[in-house]
Amino acid sequence: MNVLKMEVLESDFGPDVAIWRIEGELDASSIKAINQHFNKILEGSRFHAIAEMSKVTHISSAAVGELMGCRQMLAERGGDLVFVGLNLDLKTKLNHLGAIKIFKFHNDLRTAINQYAWETHLKPEKVWLSFPSELNLVPPVRQLVSQIARQKGYGERDSFRIETIVDEVCNNAVEHGIPDKLRDIELFLKIDRKKIEIEVVNLSDPKKLNSLKAISKSILGTNEKKLERGRGLSLIKMLSNDLAIDFSGKGTTVHVTKLRED
Amino acid sequence: MKNTTPLTFKVKFPSNADYIPPIRKFVSEVLLVEHFNSKFSFRSEVIVDEICYNAVSYGSHSMDATVDLICSVFSDRVEFQINDEGGTHEHMDRLKKVIEKEDDAELDVKQSRSDKGLGLEIVKMLSAKVNLKIKKDNVTSIQVIKHREDA
Repeated sequence: MNVLKMEVLESDFGPDVAIWRIEGELDASSIKAINQHFNKILEGSRFHAIAEMSKVTHISSAAVGELMGCRQMLAERGGDLVFVGLNLDLKTKLNHLGAIKIFKFHNDLRTAINQYAWETHLKPEKVWLSFPSELNLVPPVRQLVSQIARQKGYGERDSFRIETIVDEVCNNAVEHGIPDKLRDIELFLKIDRKKIEIEVVNLSDPKKLNSLKAISKSILGTNEKKLERGRGLSLIKMLSNDLAIDFSGKGTTVHVTKLRED
Repeated sequence: MKNTTPLTFKVKFPSNADYIPPIRKFVSEVLLVEHFNSKFSFRSEVIVDEICYNAVSYGSHSMDATVDLICSVFSDRVEFQINDEGGTHEHMDRLKKVIEKEDDAELDVKQSRSDKGLGLEIVKMLSAKVNLKIKKDNVTSIQVIKHREDA
């Protein structure tokens, strides 16, 4: 028989998240302990709890019911109770009980905390990519960014518009880059639940720099003349919420911000 | 091995499994563009999936941990290098054990079939060479080489 152990700890992330470590068997006799420890969470004015259950060996339906009640109380405060580290057998059991529709499950504590930070604190995540200045590499790059957006919960339409933006910006970077292609193109991505920021940096061909500056001034300025070139930038401006182009420093930097719409 | 200048891609991403599917797909697409066949590119995708998953699951668990993936595409091969900020001693020892094992018969089937041992065995099966380096600052670096004819 595994002895039940529980403790409530503060998380490294902040005071509003509690880590609830549970070990052993959760059966009908553990209801009192569940309530005692849950009250500690409520007393600390925390509204988000992460139940670390990698060493839980058994969960009865009575215990699941009690935990559902705990979750309900946190949900009424705008929070949640999530499970971390449950083994496959117990997850399967909870699936049969329908608990999978109510609780969120994570493999480890860090994933659970990062998900909380993403949802509640709009914590951004960053990706950096460096790739050779070749046109045939632009499709994989745009698909990478689009798929990252989808993976992080952005809708299909938003992801496709993001893909279009990346395609235009990267194509420009390749086409107007220095001909010897000695320097790679860098793409910086910063994504949170509400917006995505894309920054592409390349070294422009000095011979094309003046015309690039003229086109961007026209598109980003208030007087938009009809230009023969520059439709790509106009398209980016139409699809995004903010577009900035900088020609100083390490090269040409195009910074695009797009708010999530769906 | 031909040592012509490779096409090199570098990706730094959060140590979060959400990023692995897009990144492995990206590598696969790049290899197709660079005229490797679909079998080669899919097997490379499997390699990238396994080494990234390993880095995320067993590397540093600090909140802001990142993983670096470098792909160098030569005409006759692709080389992957993945760096993570290092996990526990237990994981490092297990990693060394799996990579340094030469004879597959020595393999502890129970260990390899656990969800913590199978990944690198797959990588070894699909590639020509797997090297492990653990640097002073605990950064774990795994290098994998896959030749074109290994498809």
